[in-house]
Formats: sequence, C-alpha cells, structure tokens
Amino acid sequence: MEAEDVAVYSGYTISATFWLLLTTAVGLLLSFKFPYPDWATSPLLSFGRLRAIHTNGTFYGWATIALVGSALFVAARSSGVAIAAKRSAWIGLVCFNAAALFGTITLDLGLNYGDQEYREWLWPVRLIFVAGLVFSGLSLVRTVAAREEREIYISNWYTIGGFVFTIILSLVALFPWYQKGLGQVAVQAFFMHNAVGMWFTFLALGVTYYALPKLLNRPIYSYSLGILGFWTNLIFYPIIGAHHFEFSPLPWWFQTLAIVFSVGMLVPVCAGTANFALTMRGHGERIRRSYALPFIVVGIAYYFLGSTQGTVEAFRSLQAIWHFTNFTIGHSHATMYGFITFIAWGAIYALLPRATGKEPAALATGLHFWFATIGVTFYVLSLAVGGTLQGITWASGDPFIASVDAVAPYWVGRAVAGSMMFLAHVIFAYNVWRMTLGPNTQRAGWGTARSAALSQ
Amino acid sequence: MSRGMNNAWAIVAVSALVYGALAVVMGVIPGWALSGTTPTRGLRPLLPAAERGRDIYVSEGCAYCHSQNVRPLKQDLVFGRPSVAGDYAYATPELLSDHRNGPDLSNIGARQPSAIWQYIHLWNPRAVVHDSIMPQYPWLFSVKKTPVRGDEVVPLPAGFAPPNEVVVTTEDSRDLVAYLESLKQVPLGASGRNR
Repeated sequence: MEAEDVAVYSGYTISATFWLLLTTAVGLLLSFKFPYPDWATSPLLSFGRLRAIHTNGTFYGWATIALVGSALFVAARSSGVAIAAKRSAWIGLVCFNAAALFGTITLDLGLNYGDQEYREWLWPVRLIFVAGLVFSGLSLVRTVAAREEREIYISNWYTIGGFVFTIILSLVALFPWYQKGLGQVAVQAFFMHNAVGMWFTFLALGVTYYALPKLLNRPIYSYSLGILGFWTNLIFYPIIGAHHFEFSPLPWWFQTLAIVFSVGMLVPVCAGTANFALTMRGHGERIRRSYALPFIVVGIAYYFLGSTQGTVEAFRSLQAIWHFTNFTIGHSHATMYGFITFIAWGAIYALLPRATGKEPAALATGLHFWFATIGVTFYVLSLAVGGTLQGITWASGDPFIASVDAVAPYWVGRAVAGSMMFLAHVIFAYNVWRMTLGPNTQRAGWGTARSAALSQ
Repeated sequence: MSRGMNNAWAIVAVSALVYGALAVVMGVIPGWALSGTTPTRGLRPLLPAAERGRDIYVSEGCAYCHSQNVRPLKQDLVFGRPSVAGDYAYATPELLSDHRNGPDLSNIGARQPSAIWQYIHLWNPRAVVHDSIMPQYPWLFSVKKTPVRGDEVVPLPAGFAPPNEVVVTTEDSRDLVAYLESLKQVPLGASGRNR
C-alpha cells in the first residue's frame, strides 16, 4: 500500500479525534449546566454559545472528517487503486479543519445567524467547509474513476452521492434571497434534516457496505437491496424536513407530506438494516471475537432504532407531546452518536490498523466500546423518559416550572451518561495514537493472514 | 472506462440532477413562496433599540431554550394565541425554535410587562424563579460601588446583589429588554385567519 494513502487516512482520523475530544468536552460541560446553572458563568462558556459549538463541531469536525477519511480509504481499496488526487484530499482536510476552527472561535464570540441548527457558522466559514467538500469529493470521485474493476462498488455510490447532495444542500442553505421570515423556516426545515440524512447517513452506510463484508470475509447479502436503499433514501429524505415544524404556521399540507414520507423512510431503513443483518447471520462467534465488528453492530442497531424512532416521532399525535421537549435531543444522540459515531469508530478500527500495520490496545478497545455503548443507551433512555414527562406536564396544564422539575433528575442521568461517553472518547484517542503515531507493535499489513486474524 | 452507471462521473451527474430538483422543489420554492408572506394586520417592524436587542437575543443563543411558536394546541394557549404565518413577516433570522427548556416568548411583552422583573431575571433567574435553570447574564450589566446620575439601578432581592455594590443596566440589557417587551402578539382581525 502506498505510504501516502496511509498518511491521508491517518491525518483525517487524527484531526477528527481532536475535534471529537474538544467538542464532546464542550457537550459534557453543557450537560452539567442543567443541574448547576450558575457554574462557569462567563460569556465564552455560556450555554447559548457553546451549544452550537458542540453540535457543529461534532457534525463537521468529528463525524465529517472521520467518515470522509474512511470513505477515501474505502474508495481506494474497493477500486484496487491508490487514493487519486492526494493533494486535493489534503487541501480538503485543511479546509475542514480551518472551517471547524474558525467556526468554533466565531460562535464563541457570539457571531451566528440565530438558531439555524447546523448552519450557525458565518457564511465565509461555511464556504470554507464547502470548499473542503469539493476538494475531498474530487479526490474520492477521481479515485473511483481510476478503478480497475468495471462495476463501481456499492459503497462508492453512497459516498459519492453524499458529497454531491451535501455540496448542493450547503449552497441552497447559503443564499439569503429566499430565506426571509417564514421562508427561512421552510429552508431550515429542509436543511437541518438533509444535513444529517443526505450526508452522514450516506457516508456511514457507504463505509459499512465495505467494512462489514470485509470483517466477516464474505460478500454483502444483496447488492440490489443496497441500490434500493440508495434510491429510496435519495427520493424520500428531502421531503421529510418539515416534520421539525409540525403545528407551526408552515402550510398544513406541507407538514402532512413530511409525515407521510417519514413513514416512507422505513423502506430504506429496513432495506439497509436487513441487508446488514442477513450478511451477519450465522457469524455471531466472529462478532464476539472482533473488536471492530461490535461497533458496527451497535451502529446498525441504532440506525434501525433511531430511524424508526424518528418515524414514530413524526406522527402528529405524538409530536404534540414530544415537540419542544428533550426527547428530540435523545433522538439526535441515538442517530448521530449511536448510529453515525459508532459506524465511524467501527470503520476506523476495521480499516486503519490494516493501513498502518499498528493495532489498537485490546483492553482499551473493549473499555471504549462498553463505556460508549452503555453511555449512549443511558443517555437516550434518560432523555426519552425525561422528555416525555416534560411533554405530559405541559399537556396536563401544570405551571411551566413543573416541566423543569419533572425532567431535572433525568438531566443528572444525562450528565452521568455523558461522562461515560467522554471517557470512551479519551480511550479512543489513546487507541488512535496507538494505530497511527504510536510505536510499531505488530506488522499487520493489508491482506496478510496475520492482520486478518488480529483484526477480526 | 465503462459507460452508464458504472461511470463514477455518471453517478455524480445523476445524483446532482435528482437531488438538485428535489432541493428546488422542497427547499428553494417553499422558501421563496413563504418569504413573501403578508404581515399580520397591525404588525410593525421593530424599533431600533428592540432591533439591537434582537441581535443580542440571537447572539446569546436564547432560541436554544425559548421558542416563539405558539401551536394551535390546548397546552400552548397559556403562551398566547396560535401563531400565524404573518407574525414572522419581519422576523429574520427566524426564531421559531424547536426547544422549550424555558417558556415560549411569542407574547412575553404582554405576559410579563415589567422591565424591572426582566432585569432581575437576566441578572440571576433564580432571584425570581427558584427552580429556574436559565443561565445568568451578568455581562449585560455593570457593577458599581455607587451609581452615577442617569444610572438605572436594578433592585435585586437580598442575597442576589454583590456585597456593597449596585448593579446598573447597560445599553445591552436595556436593548434586550426593549426587544422582550416588543414581543406582543397583535390580535387577529374579525375577518379571521389573517394570513
């Protein structure tokens, strides 16, 4: 394997890990501000500014950089070539890091465009991010275009698609001419959901379609189910955004359309989950003995659970209770953490040691897995229960502060869960060091029998 | 290189075409159509002080906990009448929000007309609402040994004022409170929907 391919993948993973540590430390601080609102009172550490740093930083610093690194590596390996246009891949990484850095600083100074979730960064910062998408996307497409096989492997459909959708989406969200008042609400409904489902979902599914069969050493169950998932996700997902603004003055039919297609999303979700589950069928023993596979299994489980939760949440009868509550914060962690982040970890543990020839520490990987899995599950359950209680106190006509009192113990639970998750990230960072810059432990080059035994 | 969908650039082109069309239909056109919503009858653009206060509201991320979107549901009527499209005609960036860790503020100017209460609450929310989890905003105020002429001293309850000092308003806190006081829903005309 070409040494610079290894350097590109390592560079992306190390950058991503830095942003994971920083922005989840911010998330942890935020979670403690619920039980201790007087703690860390300072403009630079205030809830209203740090919240956007946590969300944008985890989205664009951590998850984006981690999954793009894996996507580039998957494109090269599945095409049987080296990563093409490496300079472009490096410039992309510089842009992503610069955007996350400037975005974090400007948000902390109180510079934003209101609570336009996941697009709070100032427009020049967002343009730097788009440039990152264009440069790294170019490297990805040129790698696939240079392949030796005739067929384009299904992974690359998903990852190339993700880049194209997200570049278009970012530009649509950037221009101000059709975003005034309620018009901006309509664009925001479109943007915030697509930023998740047309970018992270496509990248995560793409790398799963490569890492899972590779780890199991058997082909994916069905290529056709993968293609079905691709097209249905592409057609249905852009229509469901308005379910974030149910009962708002957005046109009623527009909201209804979003609810109908939220149910339609069960098609790609079931297609993807079934495809992965059937690929794994009968290989329980292999999963138990691998350190990468458990992350992917949890990721797939949360893909299914988080997505069906989203469908159920969209029904008006339930949205009437759950909208505005912390239930939605639990949902976004089930998906962006349980699904996306676990897949990002699974892909890194599956592929990075094969690239660098350095293995992570077995005990540390186990601790990472269990702290993160128990942490996120406790997190999602805490806010599911707490959020439901919030909604019920409102519906029963209690004074507003009763909803705060009702959810308060669950906020403590969330802070405990968040602490476990952050601990997992510190352990992961240690493992990333072991897999990249750390001392040579094993020589486990790509394709050797030894690496196959060690990484499974 | 092979042809059809086995070509990487064909995937790029078809993805761009399909998603580009969806983005126009589901994003750009609804945005464009609703950007021209007629203001609710009687709604006025904000005065300059309230406009500056709105910038502070945006800057401090108040919308991560406070919605400005009263739904046509029984549990929301405590916050005011259900919001209508025309209420947001002058509201860019929009602040509807999908979080309600604190109450909805669509009509807070009518529900809590006291500027003094707002100042005390911004200095330390726990001074007026014991179980509140809202952050303090001391950087919107100035703390002095003795107030000078023209200073507006915030009458803080015992235990919440800094010892031997007084808390006075600044332009920031006055603007923010001017914005909060401006948040009054205009009644809908007899003609009904007023959209």
